[in-house]
Amino acid sequence: MTRADYIVVIFALLLVPFLFTRYWQAPAQGETAEILIGSDKKIEVSLNKDQELNVEGPLGASVIRVHDGKVRFIDSPCRGKQCIHSGWLQHSGDFAACLPNRISVAVLGSKRRYDAINF
Amino acid sequence: MNSETQQIAINPTRDDYRIAWLTALAITIHIVESALPSPLPGIKPGLANVITIVVLLMYGWPTAAWVGILRVIVGSLVIGTFLTPTFVLSLSGAVASITVLGIGSKLPGKGLGPVGYCLLASMAHMATQFSVAYLLFIPHDGLFKLLPVLMTASVIFGIVSGLIVNAIMDRLR
Repeated sequence: MTRADYIVVIFALLLVPFLFTRYWQAPAQGETAEILIGSDKKIEVSLNKDQELNVEGPLGASVIRVHDGKVRFIDSPCRGKQCIHSGWLQHSGDFAACLPNRISVAVLGSKRRYDAINF
Repeated sequence: MNSETQQIAINPTRDDYRIAWLTALAITIHIVESALPSPLPGIKPGLANVITIVVLLMYGWPTAAWVGILRVIVGSLVIGTFLTPTFVLSLSGAVASITVLGIGSKLPGKGLGPVGYCLLASMAHMATQFSVAYLLFIPHDGLFKLLPVLMTASVIFGIVSGLIVNAIMDRLR
């Protein structure tokens, strides 16, 4: 092992903890919620303002509550209530959907990205 | 009949033979390694790189560059990944590690030893593959969650293959 070897090894051993602290932090806080109704109607609401929305879907009204920078389904006229069980959404990229009522809520951050590109 | 065929004679030099033999060895390792299961996509020991470093230490950078690049191209033809995304990742990693090795071998003084070379090459390989994967194939921020794990693997395997090169060089001397 030469001195340059030791420098490279030390650099590598410092880089790894740095990467862990840099990239394994809590995800970014969301800023807005995008509510999609059917396949074309979109509502964007800020997460900073507490409010309750009645969103009309094909089955009836779904109730979506915004509170304290978070958003969730409160009620929905569906059978499974999966959307309500999704709970509070607050991080950029979080997502809940009521498929029977064709309503989805996505939390957006400052940047919008693709999920993945497929070949 | 007037035929204008010309005979093209290729006279391989000793260097050509040497590159061919060493590349064949690296390709063999490359193929065997591609059959090993991996716990996570993107992580593999990179033992074929051991050959590249041994070549670098024994015959210098130009030969090592030939072996490193040829290994990826021929290896992908044999495995059947030529010109697929896998190949793009593999080639970009190889080019990056060869470049880093070139810069590393220019260092003044005693320079780098096997461990330093292997570690640098392995980290450059991983960093470049990751960037290419992010820019071309999966431009999603979630990918960065993988980076610490991938880099840890590349550091561990880099040091391990450096130690293997050390052992090989001891036998060869």
